[in-house]
Amino acid sequence: MSNLLDSLIIELRRGTLTLAVLSQLQTKQYGYSLVQLLEQSGISIEQSTLYPLLRRLEKQELVESIWDTTESRPRKYYVLTDFGIEIYQKLRTEWLVNSKQLNELLKGE
Amino acid sequence: MNLIDIYIHEVTRRLPEKSREDIGLELRSTIEDMLPDDYTKEDVEEVLSQLGNPAVLASNYSEKPMHLIGPRYYDVYVTLLKMIIPIAATITLISLLAKYIFSYSESQSVLNVGLMIIGEGIWSILDVAVQTFFWLTFTFAIIERVENSKERDPLSISGKKWSPKDLKNVTFIPKKRAISNVFVFGMLFWTAIWATVYFNADKLVGIYTKGENGLQFVIPAFNQTVLNSYWPLIILSVGLEIALALFMLLKKQWTKNIALLNVLKEVVGTISVIIIVMNVAIFNQEFLTYMGHLFKLDGMKVVGFIQWITIILYPIFAVWNCIDGFLKTKKV
Repeated sequence: MSNLLDSLIIELRRGTLTLAVLSQLQTKQYGYSLVQLLEQSGISIEQSTLYPLLRRLEKQELVESIWDTTESRPRKYYVLTDFGIEIYQKLRTEWLVNSKQLNELLKGE
Repeated sequence: MNLIDIYIHEVTRRLPEKSREDIGLELRSTIEDMLPDDYTKEDVEEVLSQLGNPAVLASNYSEKPMHLIGPRYYDVYVTLLKMIIPIAATITLISLLAKYIFSYSESQSVLNVGLMIIGEGIWSILDVAVQTFFWLTFTFAIIERVENSKERDPLSISGKKWSPKDLKNVTFIPKKRAISNVFVFGMLFWTAIWATVYFNADKLVGIYTKGENGLQFVIPAFNQTVLNSYWPLIILSVGLEIALALFMLLKKQWTKNIALLNVLKEVVGTISVIIIVMNVAIFNQEFLTYMGHLFKLDGMKVVGFIQWITIILYPIFAVWNCIDGFLKTKKV
């Protein structure tokens, strides 16, 4: 039963992942700092999902990346583009509306 | 090479050439971020286990599917497979039969040729099934990788997204009325067998005794020249059976017309059998004498016995078959 519950929880979280990542990229972040930020907010994410996700978001032109070589070790930073900000705002509104509706639904129990 | 290098290599070797370097660099910087300043081998293992199986990580990077045929094509694929394999098998078998029939020479025993056909038949049906399966799967696996439309819905057999209009093309067949391909196939096979036996009765049907080389055929039961003289009746019956089988293959269910054709087939068959069996000349005299000795009866009484059995039993089965055909056409 706990297996089933786990897989349902993962399914439930999967859709929110993009939104969570976008929300943290309003300021520039590198891969591991993003993991830590998300974990601080209690959002656990498979790292094998996160890094590829960042790359996909870049391909979709929602974020852009810069290699920073000034520090001791080179890091790749990601930040939202203008298009990314616009999409993020819309997704955010959509999420708020959705969760409000779902809350109503759950309250009705 | 240390573990980190090997891990990065394991991921990047699965990726397209052009993105390897960039992903490799980023991965290395991420791994180093995760490690403490003075790290041990255990720390490295801990970090790599957090990143997980390199194959999974690589597949998350690449857009290519990690399956051969995905949900979008699976249904069409299975439907086509079920449609094509029986057709291919039937065509193979028919061409095989044709090959043997046209190249048949008197020197070969019929039983031998029959066994060869069965053997080669099984082998070539397996062969054609495997070939069909391979090429169809291969084609679909390529389509899965080449087609890059954003649509995710499963395709219907028409190649478009499903709509209620597709239901009009579905012929709904209740299970009771359905005629399976296996049934039709069995029918054709049976026709081939009895016709072969009929035209080679003097080599197949009769008394066998135990000889030095296994069973030996000693006395044929029938007189082949007399049997052969009834060829128009036999050809008519064979023709009707093949027509019925093809009709069934086409309709896939019992209909009134099929039941009627079935009756016609049974009537022709019954009349033919009775006409043939009533002619005493079809029996080999030697065989009758032998049987007479065996049962301590007059040879003619043996003939009479065979005739009566046929005249009573054959029509009973024929009538039952006709009724059964009509029962199956009834709407459920």
